[in-house]
Amino acid sequence: MFGFMKGLGVTLRQLPKKKVTLMYPEQKPVWPERFRGVHRFIPDLCIVCNQCARVCPTDCISLSGTRGPDKKMRIDTYDINFDICILCSLCTDVCPTESILMSDTFELATYSRDNLYLDMHWLYENELAYEKNHPERFIKDAEGNNAAEKVGDAE
Amino acid sequence: MWNWATHPITWLSFLAMLIGAVVILLLTLVVVMYSIYWQRKLIGWMQLRIGPNRVGPFGLLQSAADVLKLLIKEDVIPTKSDRVLFLIAPIIAFVPAFMALSVIPFSRTHVFTANIAIGALFYVALSAITIHGVMLGGWASNNKYALIGSMRSAAQMLSYEIPLGLSIVGVVLMAGSINLNDIVNAQAHSGWWYIIPQILGFVVFMVASTAELNRTPFDLPEAESELVGGYHTEYTGFRFAFFMLTEYVYLFAMAGLFATLFLGGWSGPFLPGWLWFAIKAFLYISVQFWIQATMPRMRVDQLMTFSWKVLLPLALVNLVVTAVLKAVL
Repeated sequence: MFGFMKGLGVTLRQLPKKKVTLMYPEQKPVWPERFRGVHRFIPDLCIVCNQCARVCPTDCISLSGTRGPDKKMRIDTYDINFDICILCSLCTDVCPTESILMSDTFELATYSRDNLYLDMHWLYENELAYEKNHPERFIKDAEGNNAAEKVGDAE
Repeated sequence: MWNWATHPITWLSFLAMLIGAVVILLLTLVVVMYSIYWQRKLIGWMQLRIGPNRVGPFGLLQSAADVLKLLIKEDVIPTKSDRVLFLIAPIIAFVPAFMALSVIPFSRTHVFTANIAIGALFYVALSAITIHGVMLGGWASNNKYALIGSMRSAAQMLSYEIPLGLSIVGVVLMAGSINLNDIVNAQAHSGWWYIIPQILGFVVFMVASTAELNRTPFDLPEAESELVGGYHTEYTGFRFAFFMLTEYVYLFAMAGLFATLFLGGWSGPFLPGWLWFAIKAFLYISVQFWIQATMPRMRVDQLMTFSWKVLLPLALVNLVVTAVLKAVL
């Protein structure tokens, strides 16, 4: 009986406290730097080593590239099938040049599965958006371009 | 036209009864709608959440949206169920819960204040019938979990009906009448509400009515970890809504009974009677939600033991003490 009253007191004391709920779609929390959202991709850095596709546990990455006149591999197509991607971040871990990275985009709800095939251009757009949203995470060079990414996701 | 208790029934008085019933039904639907809203808001606040706030201003239309959603859902009837009983079970559950409202005196002079000589008894008798709907619903579903849920429900309701009835008898003894209007008048004249002299009866009533309403911590019929959803497992859409409606109408009716028996019903200073009644009923409903936000669910064996070994003796002690004091003083 006494414990019962105590419990009621506890719940009553919570009543006037500040609520922790965020008005989600309008008001978003600050995602931490290592948030694993949809990938972003920097085609210029990619050396078509195929490691990301090989390490992917769900086989959702497919890519192709050709050798350019300077004997270097250039990426031609890069697709991630977000039907099956589990956002494990293994691809970003193995990438030697960090051309594939995670971003904090995650709202991908759509009416058609076809929209979940994300190609190189989509992923690059995502990279640009990420740079725009988080300028503080990049080190600027003299002209104000992003020279490198601060140590965060990288080791 | 409004004084139907003392005259033989005519078409005019029948029409008046019909209008009265419709008005009460609409009132009840609004009360149910907003008690569900208030439940979600209050429990939300206690859990540091905001509660519904999307549909309409402050989420006030949330329940209306939920009802609309339930109404347009598919009405599934299991093939191997007892079809007729399955269809009428929600109605059998709802009708007594709604009828119990007919004896609650909402205000002093209101036309719908029934003046039945056996008010309290009528209420207890009717509220016991609701369990038929629950039992039939569980049985007709032809689903073992629904059946177990409804059996539990029945056992619980029957067990707690007895302390509930006995705690009411204490009040009836004090007022010297079983007519709910007379009970309110007796409280208004004696100058105190029966919650003070009948404090033991009040505690028993509070616990027994919580169990009777199948509310936390006695919401065993809906123990989803063991029983899926209890007696309404197989019910969908509109029929499920009816069971929900029954539950909340019954909550309102119990709040009305509580206000009438222990808090002096519509009597009170300054404010109009119906407002006093509303405040007292609101208080009971809020306390129910408060308890729901606090307590975990009881175990089924503890539940029955508690009723028979704790509540029943307490109610009997209360009854004897009341009777002795009544005779001595």
